[in-house]
Amino acid sequence: MKPLVQRGLLSSLPLIIAGGAAYLLRSDQRLLIETTLSDTLLFAGGLLTVVAWLLTWVWWRGVRITEKRNAALLEESIVNHRRFLQRLDHELKNPLMAIRAVIDNEQFKRSLASELDPLPVNGDAAALDRVNAQVTRLSQIVTDLRKVSDAETVPIETAPVDLNLLLSDTFVLLQEHPDAAARQLRLTIPQAPWPLPTIAGDWDLLYLAFYNLLENAIKYSSDGDSIEVRAREEKNRVIIEVADTGAGITADDLPHIWEELYRANRTRSVGGSGLGLALTRAVIQRHGGVVAADSRLEQGTVIQVELPVTGAQD
Amino acid sequence: MQNHLLVVDDELDIVKPVAAFLERAGFRVTTAGDGIEAQEKIAEIGPDLVILDVDMPRMNGRAVLRSLRGEGNDIPVILLTKYGEASERAQAIGEGADDYLNKPFELIELEARIRAILRRVQKGMPSLTAAQKLTSYGLVVDRVTQRIYHDGQELTLTPRAATLLIYLMMHPDEPLTRDRLLDAVWGWDYATGLRAVDQRILELRRVLDEDSSAPRFIETVSGVGYRYIAPVSAKQ
Repeated sequence: MKPLVQRGLLSSLPLIIAGGAAYLLRSDQRLLIETTLSDTLLFAGGLLTVVAWLLTWVWWRGVRITEKRNAALLEESIVNHRRFLQRLDHELKNPLMAIRAVIDNEQFKRSLASELDPLPVNGDAAALDRVNAQVTRLSQIVTDLRKVSDAETVPIETAPVDLNLLLSDTFVLLQEHPDAAARQLRLTIPQAPWPLPTIAGDWDLLYLAFYNLLENAIKYSSDGDSIEVRAREEKNRVIIEVADTGAGITADDLPHIWEELYRANRTRSVGGSGLGLALTRAVIQRHGGVVAADSRLEQGTVIQVELPVTGAQD
Repeated sequence: MQNHLLVVDDELDIVKPVAAFLERAGFRVTTAGDGIEAQEKIAEIGPDLVILDVDMPRMNGRAVLRSLRGEGNDIPVILLTKYGEASERAQAIGEGADDYLNKPFELIELEARIRAILRRVQKGMPSLTAAQKLTSYGLVVDRVTQRIYHDGQELTLTPRAATLLIYLMMHPDEPLTRDRLLDAVWGWDYATGLRAVDQRILELRRVLDEDSSAPRFIETVSGVGYRYIAPVSAKQ
């Protein structure tokens, strides 16, 4: 705003001078004598106000148009992206089904053959198993993609969700993870002066979203590392953090971790489809919340989820 | 007696191996490539069960199913739905599918579903699929509107709990694994989802006022999942 006012003042200055000069030149002697300093000031002030107002309006309109255009572009790209995911799912599901059916049929044939007469085993049974494993993997990716696009579009349930219960339940499941025993896990949920609020939302989806974050913390840390889950309420929002002292994420990778199928090169050895965070973000956004991440390489990562406290105060 | 199945899908590369598998498993199999052909074959051969894909040219699987049930034909139908679409699952039940599977699925799973349905039919259990309303003790369920009444009072259930209850009632006396319920109602296969199933069962038991030591409606099958134990019949 500040540079704008300055610009307005500067650009209106020649106008005022020109206007004032014209006023003075065009008027006859008598008028000039009658014109007092205060009249001129008043005139200049009025002109200045009008010009500044005009400039501000033009600027504001420009910003509005750009904002609108950007919002429309963003909306369009989100819709396109979603459509792409749905098409991908649609187009891959039949070929995958066909391959799966051929493999299942072939394996069935072999199992019958080995029972009765082990002859017609030409080719490599192990090769069939390998193809089978890859098809299963591919199917998993397709169904996970579907789930992300589903989480973005399907109507979600809005029942009261007690965040205390949700987080402690998720935490209990985390403790059952095979690698959990070798990590230091800590859950901090406030009890005083009051516990976390109940929000309106979809328990199953939120549960999934938080479990994804907790599971990631285990996946990308090692024995002896710490994992902390902290929650607090702040001005009608609940902030939940999942922090670990694990491997961390490079600055190059950090902005992309929420994208579908994005996997940092250094994490390729860790299992997973690269869709967990995309799903988490989709779920949190459906609840009107936002996600953010911060990380330092070899020091750890913190994921922050911010959820608005909406209705459902029962 | 060899059961006769009709497999309907417009993808020949799916129909062929599925048919070959089911034949190897001991069924007699006829195939059709779209909805119109499916209707013709059903009229012509009178199969014991139809496996029906949803997405097909000319006439899709849902339209075939609706037209069958509209004529009062209660031939068992397994619908092959798109993965993950929750609304589609609820609709599949509402429109009268006996069961549904998400592509891509394992053929062993398809075979298990076929056998479970045929077992029910052969036991002489009345088909529930043509009826809009089901009753079970004091429970009345409207499959189309997903409204549920208990002793005349409408129950307030979350949408997933309602779908779960209806799915259980559609498979009376059949032990259903939590994985299968999760797949059928949620369309997920996450480990966390198994808790989601348990939680909705708890919700149902609470709303139905079940005595956990002597349940009347939903029984826990230890190490497996759940079973709907109350008798279910179609309500006119």
